[in-house]
Amino acid sequence: MTDQELVEKLKAGLGPMIVEIANPAQRRIFLTVEAKNLVAAFSVIRKDIGLTFLSTVSGVDLGDSFEILYHLGHDHGNMNVRTRITKAYPHVASICSVIPGAILYEREIQDMFGIVVDGIPDPRPLLLSDDWPAGNHPLRKDWKFERPQEIIPGGKK
Amino acid sequence: MKFQIPIGPQHPALKEPISLRMTVEGEVIKDADIRLGYNHRGVEKVAEERTWVQNIYLTERICGICSHSHSTCYVQGVEKLMEIEPPKRGAYIRYLVSELERVHSHLLWLGVAGHEAGFDSFFMYTWRDREVVMDLLEMISGNRVHYAMNAIGGVRRDLDEGQIKTILDGIKVLRERTEYYLKIGSSEPTFVGRLAGVGYLSKQQAIDFCAVGPTTRASGVGIDVRKDDPHAVYDEVPFEVCTSDLCDVLGRTVVRIMEILESYKICEFLLKNLPAGPVAVKAPKKAKPNEVVSRYEAPRGENIHYIKSNGTEKPERLKVRAPTLGNYRATVEMLKNGFIADIPLIFAAIDPCICCAERTVELVNARSGEETTLRFSQLRALAAERFKKLPVKRNVAWPF
Repeated sequence: MTDQELVEKLKAGLGPMIVEIANPAQRRIFLTVEAKNLVAAFSVIRKDIGLTFLSTVSGVDLGDSFEILYHLGHDHGNMNVRTRITKAYPHVASICSVIPGAILYEREIQDMFGIVVDGIPDPRPLLLSDDWPAGNHPLRKDWKFERPQEIIPGGKK
Repeated sequence: MKFQIPIGPQHPALKEPISLRMTVEGEVIKDADIRLGYNHRGVEKVAEERTWVQNIYLTERICGICSHSHSTCYVQGVEKLMEIEPPKRGAYIRYLVSELERVHSHLLWLGVAGHEAGFDSFFMYTWRDREVVMDLLEMISGNRVHYAMNAIGGVRRDLDEGQIKTILDGIKVLRERTEYYLKIGSSEPTFVGRLAGVGYLSKQQAIDFCAVGPTTRASGVGIDVRKDDPHAVYDEVPFEVCTSDLCDVLGRTVVRIMEILESYKICEFLLKNLPAGPVAVKAPKKAKPNEVVSRYEAPRGENIHYIKSNGTEKPERLKVRAPTLGNYRATVEMLKNGFIADIPLIFAAIDPCICCAERTVELVNARSGEETTLRFSQLRALAAERFKKLPVKRNVAWPF
């Protein structure tokens, strides 16, 4: 399956759900869909087109919105599904019902960006510690690490 | 009667301390739960504040065993962003180091698997021979662990004729020994019996849970980034993707031994066809705003970096997914319906580092609330004891 064939298949399968589709380099396809169509698009991609392997999910902080990229691997390269959500309402639907292996990556973007993944089977934090202060999401651009002041019991001598 | 066994999270010798909580009924594991983040260093956040060159050294330090994997994955992505291409000779040397790293990582894993299965002479033999490849890597790069071979636009060191000859001689020795291990591993019925049927992961599960690397290939799914998405030199090199349909730890052992033999072939091809010329080109300081997805087949599976540039000398975003994270969800499935005694072996089968060190396991008696603390060595002794009493599985055989 060449890039061109896959693009044609995606266009036929997804139809009006596609916002944009690009093929910037050999074996790399970037597909943009709206967040509300995400689960429907993934069920087409997995069941009809047959791309089953999800490499990972990346989040990018764009200032007033988030970009979420789902990187899929297949026999002849890589296909990426891109979606955007606003920072004011950071909700995205879980794709675990279609691709069960997405669970750890979805938990990771919940921790790191404060994106709420609706319908995730297991919403517990994955990477952040139990006593992590609420509302702190380290990979947001406005989050800066401040080292807590060291307190030496009994004072310095 | 259900028990909960927490395993982990901390041990200084582990590169990734993780916490596992097993729900057991008798000796059978009914459920497993994974908690990560004990060694989270915020590499992705730090990378946004470093320049493109500084990040090579940062990515190299993500992992100790596959240090070259992360820096290569990063560098090949950044080269695409900067629109430069390493010279042929540089690329050949870069992927030669990759393959030698795969050999050392798989030999290390083989030793660990032998150790966990109670076959300690196998462990000592493979680790003795791992020194051969470690010495070759030290000769090429000057370092045993962090090779620091990669630069944006090529590699930092060249090979001379004498070094090429030494590497070819070393590979000859290694191949002979690996074939010998294949012979003793496959003709030792207790070893084969111990590995067969443990940690079952069906083909459908491997696909559903997006497992990567030798774990998936041992379940009959032939994904290998080197074949599917041939980065740099891999479309010129002849090699086979090794798969097995056994779906258990025996299958994972077979796949890794076959992969070592394939890696020798790749190394020899790269050395014999090493083109002349420079090893690196000069790279610009800045990259135009763009994005790239870089994939690389690390010893444990697919390694993927998503890099976004914004026109400055620092990346806008660097996302790293190491292969072990991809395998955790599948590990939970492998552990289910297995025995407590198989935990070390199943862990070892996805990642050599989790279990090669001593760890503490707490057995909590759910009825009385009593806690018994076991050293990992005791757990291993329990496993060995249990398998001594079992009859040897006479119907299992090495698959070829």
